[in-house]
Amino acid sequence: MEHSLIVLHNDQPVFTSDEHWLYPLFDFEQFLNKTDIPVNQLFLKDKIAGKAAASLIVRLGIRNCFIELLSERAVPVFEQHGVKFAYHQLVDHIQCRTEDLITDSMSLEETYLFLRKRAGKVQGTKLLINALTVQVAGKMVIDHLDLELGRGEQLVICGENGSGKTTLLKAILGLVPAANGVIMIGEEQVGTSSWQKNRFQTGYLHQETTKNNFPITAGEVVAIGVSGIKTEKSEREYRVELSMRKTGCFHLQNQLFHLLSGGEKQRVSLARCLCQNARLLLLDEPTSYLDEKGKNELKELLVDLSKNEAPTMLVVSHDSNWVDQLNWPTKTLKNGRLC
Amino acid sequence: MLELFTYKPILQGFVVLILTGFAFPITGVYLLRMNLLPLRFMLMHGAILGGALSLAMEVSPFGGTLAINLLLVLLITWMSRSLKSDPGQLSAFFMVLSISLAFIFIYRFQIPAKDSLGLMWGSLYTLNSLEFWGTLLFSLLLILFQALFRHQLRAVFFDADVAKTSGVNESRFYYAIILITAITVAAAMKLIGALLLDALLLLPALIASYHAKSYRGMILWASFWGGLFATVGFLLSLVFDLPASSTIAVFASIVFLLLIVAKKRMNYP
Repeated sequence: MEHSLIVLHNDQPVFTSDEHWLYPLFDFEQFLNKTDIPVNQLFLKDKIAGKAAASLIVRLGIRNCFIELLSERAVPVFEQHGVKFAYHQLVDHIQCRTEDLITDSMSLEETYLFLRKRAGKVQGTKLLINALTVQVAGKMVIDHLDLELGRGEQLVICGENGSGKTTLLKAILGLVPAANGVIMIGEEQVGTSSWQKNRFQTGYLHQETTKNNFPITAGEVVAIGVSGIKTEKSEREYRVELSMRKTGCFHLQNQLFHLLSGGEKQRVSLARCLCQNARLLLLDEPTSYLDEKGKNELKELLVDLSKNEAPTMLVVSHDSNWVDQLNWPTKTLKNGRLC
Repeated sequence: MLELFTYKPILQGFVVLILTGFAFPITGVYLLRMNLLPLRFMLMHGAILGGALSLAMEVSPFGGTLAINLLLVLLITWMSRSLKSDPGQLSAFFMVLSISLAFIFIYRFQIPAKDSLGLMWGSLYTLNSLEFWGTLLFSLLLILFQALFRHQLRAVFFDADVAKTSGVNESRFYYAIILITAITVAAAMKLIGALLLDALLLLPALIASYHAKSYRGMILWASFWGGLFATVGFLLSLVFDLPASSTIAVFASIVFLLLIVAKKRMNYP
């Protein structure tokens, strides 16, 4: 086999890749987004496949495949999902760290998201906070706080009013100066000139936005996401439309923002963050001013986001019911520290 | 009436008024959106101080008002940043100081009452070449600024924090807008006077904010109303032999009133 991955349609190769590890399959996923060929008519030939590759092949919708070197751990995955497979050689396991990290309790979707994160195929970036201290009006609000969030991870920070949740987010955004400590977003340290140039990579959604009465359409609000970078009109319009469709608010494009419901405003604000290609999303009390329906819609939207674009997300909320429903890892901010 | 336009001062006044009528309401939108009304009040008083000082020194009031306004803006910006003081409070302080100093200059240098009052209602027909071309150039630059930076300005007006996190240099635009306000107030004072300049600045923006359906619409509607007030007000002043500045202000006020009534009746959102 010349290539590491070959995909055939009517015995004719339509996709090949010479990449290693799981990258050929991720590249093939992108190819599928562009082609009209039904995926169930394709035949996939891979050099080597373990449980990770098998999970990806199933997730892509492939029904027939041939694997030269197949791990026994991949067999149940194919069998469980009705994929017809053949192989040249079957082995106990293949030497791959990823293979060991996939547990049996993980669902296909969880495995898929895990592999995307591991392959760097998620939008999210890493957030690292080291010994952060923030003072407001001479009072210590954040006290030597440490926090680490991996790419595409989510965290909810709870805490009483005045515990410093919003101050923490503002420090991450560079809106409040840190008295001490370091905040790293990806490879950029907050406050440096290189961070300033890439500042748009952090999206901010805060409660004040919902009270804004500036006569501006929802589409214009979303377009704010690209106002800090030079873009052609056609690209700007494409990004606005794409992000509004992703968050299900494209139909609101020409409506006045301040006349929308709380839930619709949050959808539009999230679309704004997607439009600016934010890799880290900071949400400050996103359920404020939302009724139960709005809260449910927002929860579903955030869960969808965490599975698809998968930006790294940090949510600050004191709405314990909603936080329970969201079911994301949670920490509490108390006395300026996370516990 | 058309023969009046053969007089250079009237033609010059008409041309500059029409262009500023379209351009200056853009500053009005900035003032309204960034809640810079105290600053604008202070600059109006600063313009009177600059005018009084210029009359006392027997130089062009236009240059004096511009210089004083720019000085006040720089002072307020520097003090609010270095002393961490509220710009609104500083504006109130400088407003009182400016008008007090203006009256002292008027009294000590025995400036004629007519000249002093001229500062209040402007002198459209006494523009010299520098004032004429300077105001035209500034109006064009203002329109250009709005056109070039419309996306960034939209972000700043919507939410300063969101603008910053979208990569817009919000503070740079804030200072640019303050400088623009200082120059606009100085120029508008020469055209229609310190007390009437809101007819060109704020009223068009205020009316636009009542019915505009988007940020773009607000800018375009404010410009439209400003241009309409300037054109119709100017022509009415010629027809009825009235002061141009007051006629423009009265016409703008009547339209404003009518639109408020119409809005109530039509129950606009």
